[in-house]
Amino acid sequence: MLRYLLGRIIATIPVVVLISLLVFLLIHAAPGDPADLLLSEEASPADIADARRRWGLDQPIYIQYLHFLTNIAAGDLGMSFRYADPVIGLIGQRLPATIELAIASLLIAIIIGVPLGVWAGAKPNSWADNLGSVFGFFGISMPSFWLGIMLILIISGYFNWLPSSGRSTYGVAQGLETGFYISHSLLSGNIKVAWDGIKYIIMPAIALGTGMMGLVMRVTRSSVLEIMSEDYVRTARAKGLDESTVLWRHVLRNALVPVITVVGLELGTLLSGSIIVETVFAWPGSGSLLISAIQSRDYPLITGTVLTYTIAFVAINFVIDILYALIDPRIRFGK
Amino acid sequence: MENSATLPANVVGAQRSSRTRRLRGAIRPWLAPKVAAGAVIVLILIIVGLLAHWIAPYDPNVQNLSHALRPPDWLFGSHLLGTDAVGRDILSRLFYGARVSLVIAVMVVIISGVVGIVLGAISGYFAGSTDFLIQKLVEVVWAFPPLLLAIAIMAFLGQGLENLILALVSQRWIAYCRVARGQALSLRTREFVDAARSLGANHTRIILRHIMPNLFPSAVVIGTFSMASAIISEAALSFLGLGVPPEIPTWGSMLADGRTYISTSWWLALFPGLCIFFTVLGINLLGDGLRDILDPRLKRSGSGIG
Amino acid sequence: MLGPARNAEAGGQVAIGVTETIASYNPYADSISMGYAIWCQVYGCIGVYDHNKGDYVGMLAERWEVDKADNNIWTFHLKRGVKRQNDGKEFTAEDLVHSINRINNDPQSKQKQNVSPIKDVIALDNYTVKIVTKQPTASLLEFIFDRVIISAKDLYDKHGARDADRKYPWGWGPYKLKDLVIGQRIVLEKDTSHPNVRPENPDTLIYTIMREPEQRVTALLNNEIQIAQFIPPHLAERVKAASNVELQPASSVEIMFLAMSPKFKPWDNVKLRQAVCYAIDRDLIVKNVLKSQADRLDGPIGPGQYGYDPEYTKKNLIIAYDPAKARELVKASGYNNEPVFLDTPVGRYINDKEVTEAMVPMLNAVGINAKLRTPEWATLWSDVQRGRTPFYYMGRGSVVDPSVALSQYFETGGSPRIGISDPQIDKALAAERVTFDPVERKKALNVAFKAIEDAAPGCFMWRHHMLYGESKGIAHKPNPAGRIFGTEITVK
Repeated sequence: MLRYLLGRIIATIPVVVLISLLVFLLIHAAPGDPADLLLSEEASPADIADARRRWGLDQPIYIQYLHFLTNIAAGDLGMSFRYADPVIGLIGQRLPATIELAIASLLIAIIIGVPLGVWAGAKPNSWADNLGSVFGFFGISMPSFWLGIMLILIISGYFNWLPSSGRSTYGVAQGLETGFYISHSLLSGNIKVAWDGIKYIIMPAIALGTGMMGLVMRVTRSSVLEIMSEDYVRTARAKGLDESTVLWRHVLRNALVPVITVVGLELGTLLSGSIIVETVFAWPGSGSLLISAIQSRDYPLITGTVLTYTIAFVAINFVIDILYALIDPRIRFGK
Repeated sequence: MENSATLPANVVGAQRSSRTRRLRGAIRPWLAPKVAAGAVIVLILIIVGLLAHWIAPYDPNVQNLSHALRPPDWLFGSHLLGTDAVGRDILSRLFYGARVSLVIAVMVVIISGVVGIVLGAISGYFAGSTDFLIQKLVEVVWAFPPLLLAIAIMAFLGQGLENLILALVSQRWIAYCRVARGQALSLRTREFVDAARSLGANHTRIILRHIMPNLFPSAVVIGTFSMASAIISEAALSFLGLGVPPEIPTWGSMLADGRTYISTSWWLALFPGLCIFFTVLGINLLGDGLRDILDPRLKRSGSGIG
Repeated sequence: MLGPARNAEAGGQVAIGVTETIASYNPYADSISMGYAIWCQVYGCIGVYDHNKGDYVGMLAERWEVDKADNNIWTFHLKRGVKRQNDGKEFTAEDLVHSINRINNDPQSKQKQNVSPIKDVIALDNYTVKIVTKQPTASLLEFIFDRVIISAKDLYDKHGARDADRKYPWGWGPYKLKDLVIGQRIVLEKDTSHPNVRPENPDTLIYTIMREPEQRVTALLNNEIQIAQFIPPHLAERVKAASNVELQPASSVEIMFLAMSPKFKPWDNVKLRQAVCYAIDRDLIVKNVLKSQADRLDGPIGPGQYGYDPEYTKKNLIIAYDPAKARELVKASGYNNEPVFLDTPVGRYINDKEVTEAMVPMLNAVGINAKLRTPEWATLWSDVQRGRTPFYYMGRGSVVDPSVALSQYFETGGSPRIGISDPQIDKALAAERVTFDPVERKKALNVAFKAIEDAAPGCFMWRHHMLYGESKGIAHKPNPAGRIFGTEITVK
């Protein structure tokens, strides 16, 4: 088991290295010069050449890549061209916002999707099933950014119930804006502050979580359907347990396994979907940081952020594999 | 083969009705509401796309500056769904947008399908170092969070229809590759391959004759879901400003343009979004139904959606 | 109810929704309008351009003169007794000298172009500074006023750049830096002891980044912010209709134009270039696409900008919409219908995509086979800087004294952006640069304007109205350069 784990970890390293190379090449080769973009429009050609030299852009690309690799090995993601601050710090400031958004979306997806799926799967072809399935398909087919725009239009613009962008209100956040705003305030019992944060996160979380919700609903439903016909369920029924106990205690536990798998597999989609939702809602997370970094060709910030997303993605897949390994006795006890 | 002429009449009658029963049984799953609804929507998309030139009330690029930002006018309207910021008719642009979305989606599916299946078949069939290399490529490309690779490629290549298609294909070929590889791997060990080789059949022939046909159901299912996600991804890229040049009307770029005017001219963003939504819904319904019919095994792997 | 209703009355706090964000605590690390506005208020500038007076006004400098014998020598007399925030140390000449040196030498500095005409800067005594320019530069104040931020020499020497900027941002300006969250907000607090502040100026200024116009307008209408920068034309009605806010227009100092580079065919033909200028119906675009929130430009500049002469403009610089004349010019130029592309950014300037979309059919109508392209800003700007874009729509901001901008785009060797080389233009621009008498200089500038229009390396389109949405609880007249100063805001 341990050997398997180690083997898997070692196997991911070349993948990450290759990815870093691919991203590096793509971004550096893209048209658009950071010096042109980040200096004033009145900057002289001498100033621009100066900036290029300072940022190491006048060196051949393989040398730049070597610098990049050696820095990464030392845990340094470089200095942002635009903000003149370490990339790690900049990402660290924005990452909690993205993580909170992802968690909120997941919560919405699971809290709505699972019960709906169980309900539908337990009564196949009933009106409950049809209703639930409609929900599920709608969820999967809805473009998240369009949903976001419509939510802003109706809930913010027309009804004025919720703020249309940002993450917190000045004066309320008191220095927590770049951290885990909601979690922190909930944990410290500060309900008023937490509520402020929740007001801002609801719409983006709905926009981002709806797709996942549809998927969770569909998978839960088919999983429940399959299990309901299994022998042990029949046994439980024969033992005299009532339907809802059967459903919630026996079926659900086993039905959730493929759900967890699928959620894990789709977490990557959630991560990349958050990029565009952050743009729609001006959510100060790493996704909107990435988009503005791309627009200003801030190379270190771009590569740093993409690398962070990719490593997160790889790590998530890795954890899923581990979970699989734990479940599958063949791997667990060695070949 | 039994000759119906030589059998007693009641047996023949029983045979005929069981044949029609079988026929009806074969057709029935296709008539399930899911598949039917999905197929109808997709059919409408195809018809609108093909006939855009004839059914569109206006030229999608004709501007009329003094009629800019007119709201939809159902009853007497010259512009049923309103006009945009330079006075172009929204309805006509939606029709032409259907055509573009269709073209993009179909091209992406075909190209990624071909690339994926070929690579997967080669990978599984030849195994060894070929398999290793191709699978490493799969791993690297797969490890990219989905939209990021497309964004990076579009930033690198710039605007353009071909560039967009390339960016959309860049990750989608992997699903086909996996399925094809699985087929090829299982095939490798079968005896008839050795038999065929000893008879002088070359690799290409074997791959084509034995692997491809089995892939068909999975490929169709993957293809339909892949079409849906291609349409959404194109819209997302256009939304971020990384799509096709402005003279090609796409639903995604209409959505992006309309976002600026969301509070004053809501129709600009609503209708393209609705089109994307319903199209994707139809394709997803169709794909799900097809999967139920053709390949129930794919149900649990989660590879179908997204 | 959305968040705490921040009334301007409540403790004199004014929140402002802005579109740009500064990137650093280092006052020299940004070169955007927002950065200059913030740091001028915190640290102080030598002087500013007063748009109401139409002239340059000293802030930390009191008066200045150019040596009559040697036009390269400027002498600045500094204000006395200006005390710093927090510790009261007095502003002296060595701080000015230090600041200019730091602009040139700080590795993060993006402001070198602001001091590019300066060869030498010497402190003659505690309150007098001599600046020597490389060549006679009549427009020196355009370079250094509103732009050169004065930072403290002693704090820099003692703590080093990083700590001085972050931990000791004490300046000679009217507002103190209270809080800075990069990319999100900047908070300034009034220094009540500063001579430039009045009791009715806001106690606290909160600059909040709100890039999307919808976001700004909604926040304004909800009283989350009291000033919203840059309202786009299509939202103007919404602001006007609301009862608690009003629309305040200002004419901007950004000139919008089409550029055609003679280095590329078919733009090497002057007749074709002139045809473009006659082919565009600017009034129609301004009326229908920009909702009349722009002023047509006749010549490179308009009223309020330095050197504008209404008489001369009316007589010599108006190019009216004339598609027939444009068609003639196109034919006469020998243009053989080869496809040309108009490149435009998207979302960088007000309605940039819409106005250029409207231009394409107008060009087609006079026989120019034009198509629109919308490259990403990063790509477009790099290409323009390198002189690789034949035909594009662009804006040039901060044009108060047009000398610098015109030289950059239209003089031989100014920059590769258009790459025109016309002896008339060169002669005229060289002449105005060394004319120090204001009346003569105005004449010389107008001669240059005419030369530029005749050679037609570009067509001048319009200046957008800068629309500010402002709460009725405050009084503020927007600054055409886009700078929002606390000392110009009055809380009612």
